[in-house]
Amino acid sequence: MIHEHVVCPFCGCLCDDLEVTVEDGKVVNTKRGCIIAKSKFMNHDRDRAKPMLRKDDELIGVSIEEAMDRAAEILRSADHPLIYGLSSTECDAQRAATELAELVGGTIDNTASVCHGPTLVSVQAVGVVKCTLGEIKNRADLVIFWGCNPGEAHLRHFLRYSVLSKGLFTQEGRKDRTVIVVDVRENASTKLADIFLKIRPNSDFEIISALRAAIKGHEVGDVAGVADGTIKEVAEKMKSCKFGVLFFGLGLTMSKGKHMNIDAALSLVRDLNDYTKFAINSMRGHFNVAGANEVLIWQTGYPYSVNFSRGYPRYNPGEFSAVDVLSRKECDAALIIAADPLSSFPLRASEHLAKIPTIVIDPKNSMTSLVAEVVIPTAMVGVECEGTAYRMDCIPIRLRKVVEPEFPSDKEVLEEIIEKVKAG
Amino acid sequence: MMIKNGTVYDPLNGIDGERMDIFVENGKIVEESKEKEVIDASGLMVMPGGVDIHSHIAGSKINIGRLLRPEDHRKDVVPRTEITRSGVGYTVPTTFVTGYRYAELGYTTVAEAAVPPIGARHVHEEFADTPMIDKMMFPLMGNNYFVLKYIEEDEFEKLKNFVAFLLNATKGYAIKMVNPGGVESWKWGKNVESLDDKVENYDVTPREVITNLAKVNEELGLPHSVHVHCNNLGAPGNFETTIETMSALRERIHITHIQFNSYAGEDWASFASGAPEVANYINKNEHVTCDVGQVVFGDATTMTADGPWQHTLYKLTGNKWVNSDVEMETGAGIVPYVFRERNLVNAIQWAIGLELFLLIEDPWRVYLTTDHPNAGPFYHYPKVISWLMSNEKRGELLAKTHKGVSKMTTLSDIDREYSLYEIAIITRAATAKALGLRDKGHLGIGADADIAIYKLEDDFERSFSRAKYVIKDGEIVVRDGKIAKGHLGRTFWVDAGGEATDEIKEIFSEYYTLNFENYPVQEEYLPRQEVISCK
Amino acid sequence: MIRMEVVLISGRTAKQGASLEVGKTSEEYFENVAVIMMNEDDMKEIGVQEGEPVKISTEFGSTVVKCKKSEVNRGIAFMPYGPWVNMVIGMDTHGTGMPSYKGAKAEISATDENVLTVGEIVDLIRRG
Repeated sequence: MIHEHVVCPFCGCLCDDLEVTVEDGKVVNTKRGCIIAKSKFMNHDRDRAKPMLRKDDELIGVSIEEAMDRAAEILRSADHPLIYGLSSTECDAQRAATELAELVGGTIDNTASVCHGPTLVSVQAVGVVKCTLGEIKNRADLVIFWGCNPGEAHLRHFLRYSVLSKGLFTQEGRKDRTVIVVDVRENASTKLADIFLKIRPNSDFEIISALRAAIKGHEVGDVAGVADGTIKEVAEKMKSCKFGVLFFGLGLTMSKGKHMNIDAALSLVRDLNDYTKFAINSMRGHFNVAGANEVLIWQTGYPYSVNFSRGYPRYNPGEFSAVDVLSRKECDAALIIAADPLSSFPLRASEHLAKIPTIVIDPKNSMTSLVAEVVIPTAMVGVECEGTAYRMDCIPIRLRKVVEPEFPSDKEVLEEIIEKVKAG
Repeated sequence: MMIKNGTVYDPLNGIDGERMDIFVENGKIVEESKEKEVIDASGLMVMPGGVDIHSHIAGSKINIGRLLRPEDHRKDVVPRTEITRSGVGYTVPTTFVTGYRYAELGYTTVAEAAVPPIGARHVHEEFADTPMIDKMMFPLMGNNYFVLKYIEEDEFEKLKNFVAFLLNATKGYAIKMVNPGGVESWKWGKNVESLDDKVENYDVTPREVITNLAKVNEELGLPHSVHVHCNNLGAPGNFETTIETMSALRERIHITHIQFNSYAGEDWASFASGAPEVANYINKNEHVTCDVGQVVFGDATTMTADGPWQHTLYKLTGNKWVNSDVEMETGAGIVPYVFRERNLVNAIQWAIGLELFLLIEDPWRVYLTTDHPNAGPFYHYPKVISWLMSNEKRGELLAKTHKGVSKMTTLSDIDREYSLYEIAIITRAATAKALGLRDKGHLGIGADADIAIYKLEDDFERSFSRAKYVIKDGEIVVRDGKIAKGHLGRTFWVDAGGEATDEIKEIFSEYYTLNFENYPVQEEYLPRQEVISCK
Repeated sequence: MIRMEVVLISGRTAKQGASLEVGKTSEEYFENVAVIMMNEDDMKEIGVQEGEPVKISTEFGSTVVKCKKSEVNRGIAFMPYGPWVNMVIGMDTHGTGMPSYKGAKAEISATDENVLTVGEIVDLIRRG
């Protein structure tokens, strides 16, 4: 059977034009997706998790019911449980996870805290001038990529949205657009650029600030190794375009300055709107990290790093963010869902996860499941079950189901755990 | 259930403060019920549940507003209870808190008034987490590519079909226009300044958008009229645009948050009230209804699809600014704002809202809103009610405001006071009627058993702030101003037919970034729907 | 032995993304993620050839991965996101929740030590 218009549940592009062929309940082919999409669908049945409990320091196979019982018991008896992950699942599961965090008075955080958390903090301080990806496809004549590498990380972004696509007022596609890439190194994206501005690591804040000054007509001189003339040239292109967009990624959020870099970039783009139309959009990584933020915002008012120990939501990145909670050894149990912190957190943060009772809910075996107390397998979202995901520009799309799952969905497991916690 | 011996205000059935019993069974008002449950309503006011015709409670815009305002949330935290979820309130409440607070006021139906169609799914998701109340939402059409294209090409039938299709695809309720044409122009940093300006890149004017969509609205027989946020909102002198808009057509038209569009003067220095002129037009022309968008002094978060206006507001205030343009359809802007008593412009805005309430003679055509959270949060409605019901109350506040108000508005010359009957009209009966919701806004046999019961106190603000009881679909959900039981409300939408033509699909594949097949809102997003059919 | 100071950047690569869908314990993942991309002249300076192990040390720890030639400037080294780079990333988030995954100071040198497998790293974490 051929499924059309399938949505890819890998990155924030949420390409929704995949064709997936299924025979005898197995994916046998995919069309149009990038290599990662293909890998996700073709390998969806490899390395799948099984329900397990740790007994005498070994993970032993158990029934899923037994695993869920133990999970509820851990969460019920914990003083300060941490719920973390959520970016690779759908919104109903995120809704349930938030309810569970509230119920047990714990901390809930999503992977935004280690990707675009600083962006969200900056939006709270500065605001943001943004647009959906179709606006860029239809109008943008200047496209800037700063500290992001769609050529490796968002493989069809150029094609579908930002560079090669043709739209209402960009009928010539690539020819109608000037592309500038700003990065510390040559990469798959710089090859496509009309202008590649290679900068020193950790100099983003200075250069963005210099551009802001240049746009307002101030003399800036050479800044952080970038020549005065280059800054003027880029500033002039930004001011004189008809519709510009600045895409940015973790090159800004993870480098020195973190949210200060984003404050500067958001302010730069806001200021440009005194002269022309300009937008700034973040390149979100996991396919539904944007949804994890949306859900937490509508339920609590805050996008990530939320604590319920007082019965109402409190927000404080640096205090309630997962890396900090773990590094300071503040939580006494953890539920990890749809993320793998052991493969993404600094080693010291991971060490605490290995010491406390950790529950892992994931379709696949992960590094974190190797140190877990409880492993609960689930259906793979967007392959084996449906649900909503928010694209990097916050457009909500319904993910599809192409094969039957062996295990319940994240949402079903979480709702079951909620019932068990309430009952106990 | 029997609600015994209450003082009933049910304007749609002509009942003005009569002592009577109301019977409820299976979620409906019935002639008589054998059920044993009795609410003793002696000395209490009984009204239909409130119906809010214009509020921003769910979807991308309000959620960005929530993201933008952590400093607000901290002033108003709401802990969980055994039956309610936690959250935050203040200017941009979370979904659960929105539902609870509306219910505690005795409101049982609320319209989300501005939805980018491509984000409709988001609204329905938030609706599922907005308990207690029935909901509906208005998709934005005044700057939609297809609308502009079909008007430009003079393809009225195609336009009509598209509107019906879009209501169906979004599970929407009414045609919403915001600064028609201006938001499309804003996508190039421009705006329209009159009804006859051309939209950037289109041979179409705002007048044509308004008149064509109004005609579509009537030909489709939609239950509500077109719902219009006029051009030039917020600008001094805009009352002329508003009158021009109303007089551009003879079809029904609802002008929303009309306070923001009733300004005289040439600039901020000469800013003054245009309310008498606007009220005068409305008094003489029955095809117009309006809601006020009453300013309440204090913190607000302004948010509209009117991108260029929000940019102006950012430039005026220097506050943080969000702009969010949406492909093929619309845009949005958000700016935090504080309405201050001592600020002359703000004080005049406050007075203009009250002038409109008091100068428009027919309460069936002027409705209570604060354009939540633009002119203030919805849970301040009881304050507004107290100003309308008491000349003395508004006099007290007027005395605290900037002295210039008396000169620039007529408020101090007006001594009209609303009766409870009129309050029931502007908060439930008339709004239900304007929305075409036949089972709402009244307590006649067959109506939905959505009932608000208030204590009669000298202080009307206190009376209306916390309903003594609220009955939703026949069950007591609020007792003594507190949520007594959770409830999942309905989502209303209008089925006006409409077909996805090959042309529509082709344009999707060319210019949208979402596949047509993934565009319409799926059934899964409507856990409890009620479809309203057209006339 | 020559130790050289570099600025360490970590990030997503398409191969890392594709191989994590195969599995974190897979051969592909090990091949594509336990690597560091360096400038050719820097590799010469510390005396390593393509594919040989190098040791990366920061104030927070050390890790061993195979080196690969790349177009990066001298003085910059790039590693894909994953458990190997996590061994040298500090946990201080400066109040943001975000560790310094990009732009950390590190020292690189040739080494005889083996590249740890995912299983060995997990054992290390469990031992704390």
